[in-house]
Amino acid sequence: MASATANAPPSLSLPPSQFARLQPHAYLLAHLSPPPASNQPSIRANGRAPSQFRVTSANAGSLTHTNGSAVVRIGDTAAVCGVRAEILHTDDIASWSVSESSTAASTAKHQHLADLSDHPTKENKDVDQDSDAADDEDRAHVQGLNLLVPNLSLSTGCAPGFTPGAPPSALAQSLSHQILSLLHSTRLVRADDLRIWYQPPNLGPEDIEPHNEDEQMDVDADQSGSAENRQPREIKAFWVLYIDVMIISLAGNPFDAAWASVLAALRDTKLPKAWWDVDNEMVLCSDDLTQAYGLSLRGLPVASSFCVFEADAAAGWRAVVIPDAGEQKKGSQSRWILADPDGYEEGLGQERACVVVDKDNDGKGKTVIVKMEKHGGWTVDSADLRQLVDISAKRWDDMKRILDQC
Amino acid sequence: MAAQRQASSASQTPHLSPAELSYLYTSLSLPKTPIRPDGRSTTQFRPLTAESNILPGTNGSARIGFADGTQAVVGVKAEVEKTTVAADTLDARGLFQQQESPAAAAGDREAQEGLGSAAVSGHGSWVQMSIEIPGFRDDDALPVFLSEMLRESLVGAVSGSGGEDMAGGLKGRLVINKRWHWRLYIDVLLLSQPLSYPLPLLSLTTHLALLSTKLPKLKSQGEEDPLFDDDWAAAQYLYPRSAPGSTAPVTTSQQVRPPVTLLVISVADNVIFDPTREEIAVADAVLAISVARDGGHDGLKLLSIRTIDPPSRLTQPGVPNSENVNMLANATSVDDSAAGGATAVNLATGDEEVSGVWRPRRGGAKRSVLARMVKTVLRKGGVGEEVLEGLEGVEVE
Amino acid sequence: MTDRRRINGPPGGTRPAVYASLLQSATGAADRAQRQRQPTDLRKIFLKTGLIPSASGSSYLEFEPSASLAAARANPKSLIPPSSALKLACTVHGPKPLPRSATFSPNLVLTTHVKYAPFAARRRKGHIRDASERDLGVHLETALRGAIIAERWPKSGLDITLTIIEAEDDRWWGDAPDSHDASWGMMNVLAGCITAASAALADAHIDCLDLVSGGVAALVSEDMTGSSGPPRLVLDTDPAEHRSIVSACVVAYMPARDEITELWLKGDSSKAALEDDDKRPGHEALIDGAVDAARGAHTVLGQAVRESIARTVGSA
Repeated sequence: MASATANAPPSLSLPPSQFARLQPHAYLLAHLSPPPASNQPSIRANGRAPSQFRVTSANAGSLTHTNGSAVVRIGDTAAVCGVRAEILHTDDIASWSVSESSTAASTAKHQHLADLSDHPTKENKDVDQDSDAADDEDRAHVQGLNLLVPNLSLSTGCAPGFTPGAPPSALAQSLSHQILSLLHSTRLVRADDLRIWYQPPNLGPEDIEPHNEDEQMDVDADQSGSAENRQPREIKAFWVLYIDVMIISLAGNPFDAAWASVLAALRDTKLPKAWWDVDNEMVLCSDDLTQAYGLSLRGLPVASSFCVFEADAAAGWRAVVIPDAGEQKKGSQSRWILADPDGYEEGLGQERACVVVDKDNDGKGKTVIVKMEKHGGWTVDSADLRQLVDISAKRWDDMKRILDQC
Repeated sequence: MAAQRQASSASQTPHLSPAELSYLYTSLSLPKTPIRPDGRSTTQFRPLTAESNILPGTNGSARIGFADGTQAVVGVKAEVEKTTVAADTLDARGLFQQQESPAAAAGDREAQEGLGSAAVSGHGSWVQMSIEIPGFRDDDALPVFLSEMLRESLVGAVSGSGGEDMAGGLKGRLVINKRWHWRLYIDVLLLSQPLSYPLPLLSLTTHLALLSTKLPKLKSQGEEDPLFDDDWAAAQYLYPRSAPGSTAPVTTSQQVRPPVTLLVISVADNVIFDPTREEIAVADAVLAISVARDGGHDGLKLLSIRTIDPPSRLTQPGVPNSENVNMLANATSVDDSAAGGATAVNLATGDEEVSGVWRPRRGGAKRSVLARMVKTVLRKGGVGEEVLEGLEGVEVE
Repeated sequence: MTDRRRINGPPGGTRPAVYASLLQSATGAADRAQRQRQPTDLRKIFLKTGLIPSASGSSYLEFEPSASLAAARANPKSLIPPSSALKLACTVHGPKPLPRSATFSPNLVLTTHVKYAPFAARRRKGHIRDASERDLGVHLETALRGAIIAERWPKSGLDITLTIIEAEDDRWWGDAPDSHDASWGMMNVLAGCITAASAALADAHIDCLDLVSGGVAALVSEDMTGSSGPPRLVLDTDPAEHRSIVSACVVAYMPARDEITELWLKGDSSKAALEDDDKRPGHEALIDGAVDAARGAHTVLGQAVRESIARTVGSA
């Protein structure tokens, strides 16, 4: 604030807040490039350093009617995410064929898993970390059957521009699709967590299928032949995760907040133990919390968004507002990459970048770029992008800490 | 957009000038004997023509027309439907009813008993209501609000002891057996643009249509799949009626009748029924009060009250002489200081009432006012009973 | 017709989970929620203003979880929550000029919009507003319009948006949706909406006659045999805690003027069991009860508005 008043010529005696509104670009520029004489650090109008993110907080599991939920606040942007799981019967899938379900069952790996199906979460991590076949199958199921349904709503009065009750705005639609494609490309949710299996009982004495105990199934009632020793398992249903994000307050950078809330909510999600009940021909669930299992997510991709602020675009204004601009121009920075832009800053730059990174081995391994996106301009070069990845990697550590705490 | 905005308010505000509004308000607020523009008394309804059973393709129907030309037609259709009570996410009991699962058949008594309650007492969603008002989309605020209001009192009307037939009210009446029930479609059509708040018209017409509604006589018994008598003459009224011969008032007053929703306004100390559009425009408070007669209870039973946004809040204020620029110019020429003083006072107090100058109504209604409005409806021999009797008198057949 | 602007789930549709414990016994093994409060005790309300800086006024409201829910949260056993507690956010945008196409209005034109989040209730809600949400919007508009001094902003519009993040249940989840299948939870939601919207209006510095607050009262019959016992008057009911609600009422109330701007009463209030010397008819007792509840909410509201003003004065 102090630097703003110092830069504004005395003839223009406006309070900083009004100056910020009338000349947003010059205001921000004055903050970022203080006169060398003043010995002030280059700082954004909101008091942050260019690569500094806003204070972030997350809180999970506070909503009653969800399988998993989270509230994430990044500065003044707040997103609420609720995950609701519903059941998709394979009978309701038009393109579903029995062979499809049995191929899934026939792979040795899965057969192995079946035996351990009481604790799929623990086992999965080691077992199918590498398997390409499983990956393809994951994709076919999660993506092909639309098992993840993220929707983001901005019609919550979060900002003046969005009329409530109107169909989703272009921004909301694009954010929903970004979340969806990121969910798919990171393969965050394992299809195995979403499958509900049925193991036809065999009449042998070694029938110790774990879910049969709970089912209390009358063995006599089921006469379906069991010539072989072990019937192939079949998929009877899937869990469909409805991931709904409500942006409650919008002050720039909705994607980071929305993605963080989705991530936190998915980490919080607990699915009830479910099995196919032959008598009722439907999937039944246990409401026992000890039998419910969490999702074993693949990694922890963290999104960091950036916005580019250019000084050149303001050349005309600078001549008026900062008379000694001509001398300053040489050697002074002409553009800044601002991390986690707020609403004010987003309005001043066209060029955006978004980097999603993950780290192997719980943060100790190497940094993996999951997604990198840049559009709206051409000032950011490869060196800059490299730097952004470094910043994002740092952000990953922060976000991991925050998400682990919630 | 404009229509949608005004929709929630108690109908389009008529274009009356502040002076006209003020005149109307003053005459309606006269103590004891308010003067209504059409000369009616406070409890008098506008003349209307009514007929029932006008649509042969329905189970029951009615048409009511007001003298001003607005008409409403209501058709009631009933369909037999399988009972599935899985309306609730967690309620799996309906599944038993639906598919007679081996577990239930095997004699899981506990489950069998548990599932009974919903099937016996019926479900509110079995009554479906749609209201069509020309000039409004069916998801506009007005039709939605009206249909929720009418449906709420209809399915809410649970009678304590209205005889064997009507135990459980309308919802209970729709139950055929544990596995089957009637679904009632009530379609309400307003035939012209509403000239006043259409609620009383729609409610009366719905009432009449339901009174004339007949359901075919059930031939099957118990838990069998339902089979009906195709003789229309043998069909039974949805709301049982007394035998044609006996018109003793005692029997009618003990019968369960569908609810009616009355529109009541208060102007100053007066309570006025069946207001016209102009009268609503100056009302202090507007209430929609649903009442019904149920068997065991002597007199009328209150089913629901809803406030309706009085359009008087949206009217244009009049300008008192003391604030009027033209008048001020005159006043200044006469006496500078006096006029200046008067304006200052008025600016300071802001909402001071100046008699004869219209001010849009503000605030809500006192509890005493609301209580009086309800009392006038419910009173023995009061307006509510009068309306119900009047509707009973409409020839059905 | 599919909604092309949203991401739709599997085309065949999905079904909510069915819990096995419900099939074994009618109501599952869980105990039904019981009200621990006295009939006149209100739940605590958390109300905070100004959380959404881009709006001219905003508020966030949360009801204290009732005893059963608090117990379930502290010691989770079942995946089925016993009850839920209202959580909602309200924003006020405006006053702003009406669009050019709008007709002249000498008063502030109020638009209210109530939307449940898809995960707010036990059943998943759609993305498009349904009849009950529109109905709530109309009720809320009536309640607020009586309080706002509308002629101070001619030719202006004010948008009030409420997002229900968690709604209240209509009944205990184990009960069949039978005779008391009316949407009692909606009344609690409305009361919360009124209080929150009032705080947001004050936060946006819209002139009002008084802070209007919402309150709910109900007649409940706790008798194990169902509705045969005489119903008692209970303030601030959580529908999940009662076996049978006979009648309920919500008011929007302005204490300074002792006026009600919105009244919504439904159900049979004639059989209320009041004190012997109480000669009020059932519905009047119900309205008085709701007013008492609204008075309780008003103290919270006053505190929240004081905070809002302190913030404005502090930052100016």
